[in-house]
Amino acid sequence: MLRRMPWWLGGILMALLLLFTFSVFGADRPFGASTYVPYFSGILFNLDPEQYPYLKHIENSGAWEGVMLLGALSGGLFTSIFLTKSFRFSILPTGWKKYKNSSITSRLIWSFISGFFLIIGARLAGGCTSGHFLSGMGQTAISSIIFGTVTMASLIYTGKKFYKSEALDV
Amino acid sequence: MFEHIIPRMTEMFTTVANEAHGSVYTVFFIGFVFGVLIQYSRVDKFEKIAGFAMLRDTVVPKMLFLAIGIASIGLYFLIDAGYASYHVKPITLAGLIFGGAIFGASMAIFGKCPGTGPISIAEGRIDVLVGAIGGIFGGLVFTVYFDVFESLMGKSLGKITLTEIFVGNEAMTALIFGAILIAVSFAIPLRQEFDELDLKQLSEDEKPLQEKTPN
Repeated sequence: MLRRMPWWLGGILMALLLLFTFSVFGADRPFGASTYVPYFSGILFNLDPEQYPYLKHIENSGAWEGVMLLGALSGGLFTSIFLTKSFRFSILPTGWKKYKNSSITSRLIWSFISGFFLIIGARLAGGCTSGHFLSGMGQTAISSIIFGTVTMASLIYTGKKFYKSEALDV
Repeated sequence: MFEHIIPRMTEMFTTVANEAHGSVYTVFFIGFVFGVLIQYSRVDKFEKIAGFAMLRDTVVPKMLFLAIGIASIGLYFLIDAGYASYHVKPITLAGLIFGGAIFGASMAIFGKCPGTGPISIAEGRIDVLVGAIGGIFGGLVFTVYFDVFESLMGKSLGKITLTEIFVGNEAMTALIFGAILIAVSFAIPLRQEFDELDLKQLSEDEKPLQEKTPN
């Protein structure tokens, strides 16, 4: 038996978490998870918010997401050790071996590049899967519906072009 | 070299404590539950997100659409009752389109998004850690060249929601929007790709056909 939660239970609980975050009993704000990245870049490279308008702009939201992220890391670690028991150091995902290649160098280079552009894309659009999809579309926001449509189209187009259509032997 | 990090992390907690968006404990708790939900439903796995891009796994869209569907109905009534308020992002058309296109392509290759990435690192994934370092540099470039990126995003065309377009039928709009998303989440056929370790934990009748061990 795989230690996991069915998709519908995950969806219901995620909706409840989102409603709690939005409500005055929780945080009275939307849920987001991409602003913390430039916020942490500012901390690591010791950039002064007075000098960089963007850091000044995200001073509060970045801090909120930073604390939330520390919680998410702890929650993820707790679950991988005690619930899913899936904690182990690994580099090559099974799906990468199956539909791309068996090269560690290839995976690491692509990870770095896609990780870099993931944040550029999210910050250009003003949100990510959490801020736009979950929080934004949850408010029926037009901006988030546009983002969601473009993202899904680009995701599926890239998936088709980047990976092999037949599974490789692993 | 890193002695500035501790005081700035302390500053982060102080900022949250001084804001009226939940105590530090509440915010940490929200993150903790998020981490448990993502990890326990396995949507932090490469096979789930890149699998969705290849249309070989549908757990992510099913869970996402169900969550948005329920949340949009719940949120409308929560706001209507005065227990929450709207926080809508502006329509910066070029930013949304360029950003969404870059974000979607990166997500397909990385197999993570900014929320699921850290939770995947908490499972021991080195490749995702390397991607997160890439992300930190992405955040650095965005911060330093913000004026360039800002001009790319274009002007805001306002912060509009569907419920504002159908004035007079706000509740019905939220209900229909939510109901459609919930229906879509159930209508999408369930397809799954697995990580090797997860696959080993499946019982024989749960395994996808091609993965069954011959008798």
